[in-house]
Amino acid sequence: MNEQPVVLAVEGITKRFGAVTALNDVSLELRAGEVLGLIGDNGAGKSTMVGVMSGALRPDEGTVSVDGVERSFANPAEARAVGIETVFQNLALVPTLNIAENVFLRREQYGPGMLGKTFHRMHKSAMRREVREGFERFGVTLPPVRTKVSALSGGQRQAVAITRAVLWGSHIVIMDEPAAALGVKQTELVLSLVERLKAHGVAIVFISHNMQHVLRVADRIAVFRLGRKVADIDVHDQTTGAHLVGLMTGAA
Amino acid sequence: MAQAESAGRSWRKPRAPREPRSGGLRRLAALLANYQSGGLLIALLVMGAIFTSMSKNFLTHRNLTVILLQVSIVGLVAIPQAMLVLSGYVDLSVGSVAVLAVAMFGQMARVDHHSLALSIAIALAVGAGWGLMNGVLISYLEFSPIIVTLGGFAGARGVAETITHDVTQFGFGDKFAYLGNGTILSVPVPAVIFLGFFVVGAYIWYEMPLGRHMMSIGADKIAARSRGVSTKLIPCVLYVFSGIAAAAGGLILTSELDGASPSIGIGLELQVLTAVLLGGVAFAGGRGSLWGVLFGILFIGVLNNGLILLNIGPYVVNLAVGAVLVAAAGADAFYQRLERIPVAAAEPVAAEPEAST
Repeated sequence: MNEQPVVLAVEGITKRFGAVTALNDVSLELRAGEVLGLIGDNGAGKSTMVGVMSGALRPDEGTVSVDGVERSFANPAEARAVGIETVFQNLALVPTLNIAENVFLRREQYGPGMLGKTFHRMHKSAMRREVREGFERFGVTLPPVRTKVSALSGGQRQAVAITRAVLWGSHIVIMDEPAAALGVKQTELVLSLVERLKAHGVAIVFISHNMQHVLRVADRIAVFRLGRKVADIDVHDQTTGAHLVGLMTGAA
Repeated sequence: MAQAESAGRSWRKPRAPREPRSGGLRRLAALLANYQSGGLLIALLVMGAIFTSMSKNFLTHRNLTVILLQVSIVGLVAIPQAMLVLSGYVDLSVGSVAVLAVAMFGQMARVDHHSLALSIAIALAVGAGWGLMNGVLISYLEFSPIIVTLGGFAGARGVAETITHDVTQFGFGDKFAYLGNGTILSVPVPAVIFLGFFVVGAYIWYEMPLGRHMMSIGADKIAARSRGVSTKLIPCVLYVFSGIAAAAGGLILTSELDGASPSIGIGLELQVLTAVLLGGVAFAGGRGSLWGVLFGILFIGVLNNGLILLNIGPYVVNLAVGAVLVAAAGADAFYQRLERIPVAAAEPVAAEPEAST
């Protein structure tokens, strides 16, 4: 169905922690503009997979390829450099800085002229404008960009963190439980953002315990159980939550 | 001055919100947060007006010069201190580092008869070196900032006493006297140095990425590090600057007194910290404005000066400074509480039509 190029391919990943095999020969494929749901019980290997894809963990066996090029990440910064960003639950936003300052933290733009070039004077208005335009492009409605992050709701913070990843050129975004502990409205904010990013060609790995959320946004769902991928299902075939739970628990 | 001008925008004039905000409390909290240092400025102006009406000696060029001169040493040392506190650190060793630098200076210039320039350079280097030691221990080895600099508070003065044997060196000559007693365009040299440092400090704080990075370290070090902020180098460098500023402050005071007294810098760390905290920099780090610190410094200076002009004793001055500091803490706690109130209404879900899937 999806004729887009494969942007992320992991093949034959095995990861052991001592005697425990957390991942056992797992392969995944992700195309541009596709949302891959990742589900499984606790200890099924989801978090280990996220670690491998985001550069936090090194697999014992197997390869990770981004845009067709095989990569080996020493840390998350290296993964970020080739366009993979993981939005963790702790979000890495600074509460006392405002939205625009957070989006541009460590990527500040300098102003024109000598002050900017030599004395690193920031171009604050340009940065604010870019953030505003970025949010507009992805249809994110947030309070003014000068609002401090501490004044935002959980869903708004998620939206800021996710949009920041995409604004900085990540075309593969991994979201670890993005809608956990959010209210209905805030969940809607996050899920609708996922859908819009998809329409913009961003490839997304969506990890969640919530079957409804996964079924709503995912094109495909990979089910993990005991370190193996037990199913890789196209969601458009009348998939039901009950069926997925069966796969997760091994009842199906 | 253009930088300082634009840096001050946050408190100078109200700006129209770009998008409608909702929630009266939220608006009030934002207002208080934006104008926290503005409140201090108003208090400063009101106090000035009261002193002006009560004493005709207050609002004179001569007296304002005296105030500026009196605050300049505390102010100079307060600028790097404010940056440290903003980043979640503190330097309690500044008073002792000042006297240590001065002791080295006295020893070099008067006992060993080295040149003035070399003696000054060595004194500043001693300050920088002590700051570097603080920085390495605290920032890289993650020792407690309070304990390490409290150790420096005792230790550096101890080293100074060993050098001086409690003897005051004096007679450094006219050239050196200019540092503390000269004027440039009828502004005292120490005040010029302080204001120069302030302009540079405000530029760093508001106009350079470094200011935000300091704030991010103080607010959430893990988040800052995960974005690539240099969470170790920045505090370390700030400690070095704090040491240099302390040494410079000690030298200026030595010049004013024409004496490298062993009692220089006693209580300096607390005066500096009072100014920083009065100025609204959160002791836990992550929040604060350098303009607020400037107003805090001037507030204490004006209060001191005015009460003395009115012949009210120094005990009352201390009491007043203490009371104002506690009041500032109360105001801060109040607006923090307001800011924490979440506003659900400020959260419209995007109504934009979906692009095709």
